This record gives sequence, structure tokens and C-alpha cells, in this order.
Amino acid sequence: MEAIGINLPGLVTQLVSFLILFLILSKVLYGPISRALDDRSNRIRESLEAADQARQDAASSAERVEQEIVAARTQGQQLIAEARDAAGRLRVSEEARVRTDLESLRERAAQDVRRERDAAIEEIRAEFANLAVDAAERVIGRSLDAQAHREIIEGVLEEGLAKDRRN
Amino acid sequence: MSKIFSSPKKLAILILFVAVFGLSVAGGALGAPFGLGFLGAPIANIELPAEKIFSLGSYEVKNSSLLFWIGGLILTLLAFFGTRKIRSKSPEADVPRGLQNFLEVIVEFFINLGEAAAGGRHGRRFLPLVITIFLVVVMSNWLSVLPGVGTIGWVENAEEFVEHREEAIEADGSRADFKDPDLVVFAGGGNFKWIPFGRTSLDAVPLASLEAGEGGHGVELANPGRLDEDFDEGLLAGINNRDIDLATDAGILVPFLRGPNTDVNTTLAIALVAMITIQIWGFRSLGFRGYGGKFFNIKQGPIFFFVGILELIGELARTISFTFRLFGNMFAGEVLLVAMAFIFPLIGIIPFIGLELFVGLIQAFIFAMLTLVFGVMATIGHSEEEH
Repeated sequence: MEAIGINLPGLVTQLVSFLILFLILSKVLYGPISRALDDRSNRIRESLEAADQARQDAASSAERVEQEIVAARTQGQQLIAEARDAAGRLRVSEEARVRTDLESLRERAAQDVRRERDAAIEEIRAEFANLAVDAAERVIGRSLDAQAHREIIEGVLEEGLAKDRRN
Repeated sequence: MSKIFSSPKKLAILILFVAVFGLSVAGGALGAPFGLGFLGAPIANIELPAEKIFSLGSYEVKNSSLLFWIGGLILTLLAFFGTRKIRSKSPEADVPRGLQNFLEVIVEFFINLGEAAAGGRHGRRFLPLVITIFLVVVMSNWLSVLPGVGTIGWVENAEEFVEHREEAIEADGSRADFKDPDLVVFAGGGNFKWIPFGRTSLDAVPLASLEAGEGGHGVELANPGRLDEDFDEGLLAGINNRDIDLATDAGILVPFLRGPNTDVNTTLAIALVAMITIQIWGFRSLGFRGYGGKFFNIKQGPIFFFVGILELIGELARTISFTFRLFGNMFAGEVLLVAMAFIFPLIGIIPFIGLELFVGLIQAFIFAMLTLVFGVMATIGHSEEEH
């Protein structure tokens, strides 16, 4: 043992030196570094998970927005279509109403015209009968029985009018 | 090959290399038999035990311990400065760079290794010791390759050498089995001496050639400055011709620094720590009966009892194999470097320094890895293995 150099003081020296170095390196080297490595890998994993979560959230919200846009678009188109429909229906009914109004207005106007014409004709006939009697009286110089003559004239005029209408 | 000759720069390098190689072969050990040993130095005296550098009271500081402490100091400083940002919880610690990054790579490498070996986080508890062993061993191995380690030191002359040996023998109480070294004749004088270039017949002056006296243990020198006239006439003539005072000029180099792992005490200490810790892990995870039952198995018949005893012997053998694998490799490496410097003085050592760096790393890794594997094995019960 002595020849290869094993001796107690030397062995104890190296033993103590190694153990002190072991304590120092465990405390100063292994401890902090392994903790730092663990911390770092945990943090990286967490942030990767968070990023993944965020990506999923973003994807799902984008999808939701897309759906809402689509829904809004269809709704808008529906509204436009309805409005166009309503407008079409309104136009048709307004046209019909206006047409009937115009029709009735024209009708009434025609009736008025006819009534006015009839009244005028009546008036003219009465006037004409009187005028004719007056003229006849003056021609013959004598008074005729006004009543009897008016009836004759009326009869003549009736005939004349009937002839007019026929024409 | 033709490419090398076509480029003048490469050709010049090649010629230079060949010339240096030829010079080193001619001037080194291979040239010495032909009278051409103008470069070589005497082969260094290689002592198996570590040498004493100085004493603190009765405690002797060995050169291997000194380099071990230097390595430990370097590791402590590296660890301290490399983890400063982490320990101060600086936000910069999350962007590791430089030294911190380097240390993290090592630690993470071993964390992965430990988790692979033990299966999951359970492997973590082995790691402080495994990493410490790796770093300490690799640092010691690499430091011992540095120039100056093993080559710069005290010159101990014959008288001092014999005196120290006397002390050692008295302390031990027995006749230690030291071989007699050859003394080297140094050049220079005063406090600064060196081994001169060139090899002569005066490189090795055997201790036995000095005049012996009437020592109690047969190693006392009557006159350390004089040669025994009957020993060797040629050597005597050489010494007298060169006017060398053997008492002051001849001696042995005691290096200040020596590779810690070339001292068997260091490797034994680390092996003991590793094996004792492995036993503690075993007892902790399997309990006293569970782990002790591995070695003293009396329930399953005589064969398993015998197997248990074999396991016990195996456990002891592991300690020894741990110790001597590392010691043998590193000591052999040192001897190899010395031998190569002796044979090819100029360039012979360069590839072997590379080899030694590699071996130093590999041995450190093997030591650490085996500690891890033995630790994992110790924490797994026999019953678990069978399933």
C-alpha cells in the first residue's frame, strides 16, 4: 500500500477536499442551474400552452365573427327583398287606387257635363218655345191660346230633338 | 498528395514538419546511441507516491493535493461566476450566454443522462454527486496536462533525499520498499537550476554510486558529495572532468504540481465517496432489509446466499476498480508524456497531449457515468428486476 502511495493523511486530505468541493458545487452549481432549467422549461411550456389557448380563442372568435357577418348579410338581403316586395305591392295598389279615382273623377265629370248639357238644352228649349210663341204672335198678330200653342210647339220640338238624337 | 506539392506554403510546412521530426528523432533518445543525443533530457524520475512540497506543522502538503485544490478553486470560481445571474434572479438569467450557457449545457447533459438512466425525475438525486465527480476529475486531468505540471519544482539533492526517506521510514516504522532513484546533474546554480539539453553519461548518477556510510537503515551517506571510487570508473572520470559538485548539482526534481489523479489517494477518496453514497442511496430507497437483503440473502436457500456474498464482493471490487481505473489511466498518461518527451523531444508530445486531454475527458465521464449507473442499480430491488 505504501509503495503505490496510499497513506492515511493523503487519503483524508483528498477525501475532505472532495467533500467540501462536492458541497460547494451542489450548492453553487447544480442547485441553481437545475432550478433555473426547470423554471425555464416550465415557463416555456406554460407560455406555449397560453399561446395555443390564445390561438384557439382567436380562431373561434374569428369563426363567430364570420358567422355573424354571414347572418347579418342574409338578414340584410331579406330585409331588402321584403322592402322591395312591399314597395311593389304598394305601387300596384296605388296604381289601382289612382286609376279608380281617375275613373270616378272622369265619370263624375262626364255626368256633370251631361247634366249641364241637359239643363242647357232644357233652358234653351223653354226659351226657344217662348221665343217661337212670341214670334208667331207677332207674325199672326194675334194672341194665341198660349197654353195650346206651347203644347204644339213642345210636340214639334220633341220630334225635332228625337230626330237630333237619332242623328 | 500532388496538391500539397503544388502549393509552396503547404510544401514549406511539410518540409518544416519533416525536418523537425527528423531533428527530434536524431537529437532525442533514438539518436543517443549514435552520439546524437543533443536534444534529449534525462528521463524524469517517476515516483508512484505523491511528493511532499512543504509542511504545515506536522501536516505535509503533497504536490497532488496542491493541484487538486487549484482545480477545486477554479471550479468554485467558475460555478460562482457562471451562476451569479441565476442566483441574483436577474432577468438576464433566462438568456444564458457565455459561462452560464456552458455550465447549463453540462448540467443539462447530465440531467438528461440521469433521467434516461433512472427513468424520470427519480434520476435527479444522483446528479449532484455525478456532476461533481465529472467536473472534479476532468478538471484534475486537464490541469495535469498543462506544461510545468510535473516539470517545475524543488531540486532535492542526495542528502535531502536520503534524509526524507529516513523520516518516512521512521514514521512508518518499517523499511519502505522504495527503489533507489538516479540523481540528475543539473545545470545552473544558486536557486535556479535546470536540466540541460543533451544527454551524456552523467544524466543518471545512481544513488548507490555515492559513498555509502554506516547508516541505521542502510541508506546513510557518508559523503554525499563524493562518488564511491569503486563504483564505476567511467562515471567517476566524467564527474571529475566536468568539475561537478555532486552535493549541490546532482539531485532529484520534486515537482510543485502533480496531476491529482496520478496520486492514488485522490482516486481512492473519490471512489470511496461514490461507493458509500451509492450504499446510502440503496438503503434509503429499499430500506435496511430490502437493500441488506441483496447481500445477505438467507431466505431463498444456499445458492442465493452465495449470490448475495458475491454481490458484496462485487461492491467492494467496484470501489477498487473505480480507484485504479482512473489512477492507472492518468498515471500511465503522465508516464507516456514523459516517455514521449524523452524519445521525441520537440514534437513527440503534441499528439499525446491531445490524446491525454481526450482520455482525461473520457475517464471523467466513465467515472461519473458508472457512479450514476451503480446508483440506479442500487436503488432498484431484486424483486423489481425479476418482473
